[in-house]
Amino acid sequence: MATVTYKGASRIYPGTKKPAVDKLDLEITDGEFLVLVGPSGCGKSTSLRMLAGLEEVDEGSIFINDTDVSNLPPKSRDIAMVFQNYALYPHMTVFDNMAFALKLRRTPKNVIREKVAEAAKLLDLEDYLDRKPKALSGGQRQRVAMGRAIVRQPQVFLMDEPLSNLDAKLRVQTRSQIASLQKRLGVTTVYVTHDQVEAMTMGHRVAVMKDGLLQQVDTPRTLYDKPSNVFVAGFMGSPAMNIKTVPLGEDGAKFGDVIVPLSRERREIAAAGDFDKGKTEVTIGIRPEDCKLGTEADGGIAVEVDLVEELGSDAYVYGHAVYSDGTERFVIRCDGRNMPRLGDVVHLVPEVGREHVFHAITGDRIE
Amino acid sequence: MSMAPMPAVTEEPVTREEKPRAAKSAGDEGGKVLNAFSHGFLVLWAAMVILPVVWIIVNSFRPSGEIKSDPFGLPSELKWSNFSGAWVEANLGQYFVNTVVVLLMSVTGTMLLGAMAAYVLARYTFFGNRAIFLGFVAGMMFPVFLALFPLYKTMDNVGLKDTHFGLALVYIAYSMPFTVFFLTAFFRSLPTGVAEAAMIDGAGHYRLFFRVMLPMAKPGLISITIFNVIGQWNQFILPLVLMGRNPDGQVLSVGLSELVSEAGKQVDTGVLFAGMALAMLPVLIAYILFQRQIQAGMTAGALK
Repeated sequence: MATVTYKGASRIYPGTKKPAVDKLDLEITDGEFLVLVGPSGCGKSTSLRMLAGLEEVDEGSIFINDTDVSNLPPKSRDIAMVFQNYALYPHMTVFDNMAFALKLRRTPKNVIREKVAEAAKLLDLEDYLDRKPKALSGGQRQRVAMGRAIVRQPQVFLMDEPLSNLDAKLRVQTRSQIASLQKRLGVTTVYVTHDQVEAMTMGHRVAVMKDGLLQQVDTPRTLYDKPSNVFVAGFMGSPAMNIKTVPLGEDGAKFGDVIVPLSRERREIAAAGDFDKGKTEVTIGIRPEDCKLGTEADGGIAVEVDLVEELGSDAYVYGHAVYSDGTERFVIRCDGRNMPRLGDVVHLVPEVGREHVFHAITGDRIE
Repeated sequence: MSMAPMPAVTEEPVTREEKPRAAKSAGDEGGKVLNAFSHGFLVLWAAMVILPVVWIIVNSFRPSGEIKSDPFGLPSELKWSNFSGAWVEANLGQYFVNTVVVLLMSVTGTMLLGAMAAYVLARYTFFGNRAIFLGFVAGMMFPVFLALFPLYKTMDNVGLKDTHFGLALVYIAYSMPFTVFFLTAFFRSLPTGVAEAAMIDGAGHYRLFFRVMLPMAKPGLISITIFNVIGQWNQFILPLVLMGRNPDGQVLSVGLSELVSEAGKQVDTGVLFAGMALAMLPVLIAYILFQRQIQAGMTAGALK
């Protein structure tokens, strides 16, 4: 039962000027499953390792409950961590791997046996307790790493991309297992991944990071529907949102001759800023599923089809539109039974009200 | 030498496709010549190493006079008394025990101190880390003969000259550079994640070292231990100088040499050979038993 609070926590690696994690402010409530997500090098793993005590906190502080743990060694923080490469002790059996932390705490032998047996049952590892890690498959090793964390009954679970070494099918399976396990144990969990699908499916809340800066923390639904800036909009969702920076006209955004209408308030916010005279622009984001295939008469953007990905129920149409000043690429989701062919020219009609508008310079969302 | 495995492959047509066979036959010829040459060289080398050993063992069963008249002959009878002569009369038994006593202390000390030093140098960053490491490495280049006289004086001053404990201390110091050099590389190659996992599991520096890192370094520890056992077993110049006034406490290597050079005494060649065979035996057995680990240790870390 614990809350975790980052208060302006920064990590600046020796010899570098730019912080790997820059003044991170984040509050994680008791029992919450929080996912840190972002592209590689965004500081998500560093943030987790700061909480674990494996990286120093150069500025600010980190609290577990009301205790400032910024300067405590890892062993005093009452946390358990699952590593990307599992980091099992190669010379110990599965039982000893799971029991190691308890042995260090001088837990009575019968209690250790009981707890390990319980975790082994939970993770379906009962038949492997006498084996060494090298005699286990990837999925089994992953479960041992989980078991090692569970037997501790720590205040906080930390998971650093624990699924990235599994094959695609096992990953999906284990994903749901971890999520339901967390729900059952109710332990506050911080989970790091670069996979936005994992983030969306597992997290109660998701924190998106980029270049050491926290971009947005919210529920998966809100992140998807109301991304607070261009980066979050582009990162969440697959295939990625169509994000285009186009000239801002009298009535709205100009995709060539086609105009996506924008309200007056939105136009005013979009126009404010340090634009060259007469070159005011706006960034429009349209999710592939928020476009329809229509005709020129519907006010659609003409797109020539480059590639069609059939997924059975749906199909994704990849194409490009030609303007006077270059081409733009688009992705459109359409019905799998009624899709255009390669080389066809289709017309993309954005669904009214489903477009995302961002400031062309700052990238911030404009409501 | 390094070419040898290549032609060897061409002799396994199973793994090859059928088509390019005809074109390859010329290359096969060349390969066979090279193969014969390299194998010939290996055979020659093996003979150079093995024959003297066999010669020593054969001669250790022959009476002295027979060896002198026909050095390369086979024994007419098995003269076991050579061995008892060497072990009891030439005092090799006592020397043998002395060597074991010294090595028990010195090898244990070398491994414990060497592993601890190497671990800290490999896994902790602190000011002067590099300098200390280079200091150890520089020790490997320091000829022992240069240190002999100061070493003698120092040992004399602290009263450890002619003692087994003193000799063991010198052995430890002498073996540290290579041990630290080798084990540092080994500890560096161990995954950091495991150490971090142990720290999170609640291990402090000492338990992390003794319960996790040391067991993980076992392959490296075994090979460097054997290396040190062999090296210290064969040590000659150090005990010759530092144990010179303590004939009964002398070690095997020096004791053997005294068999040859005992003044005013007829050298019993048969006994000498028996003594050599006895001195060789423990190292030979260690080598045979741990052959696999020695090889593994030689290439350990090469692929990580």
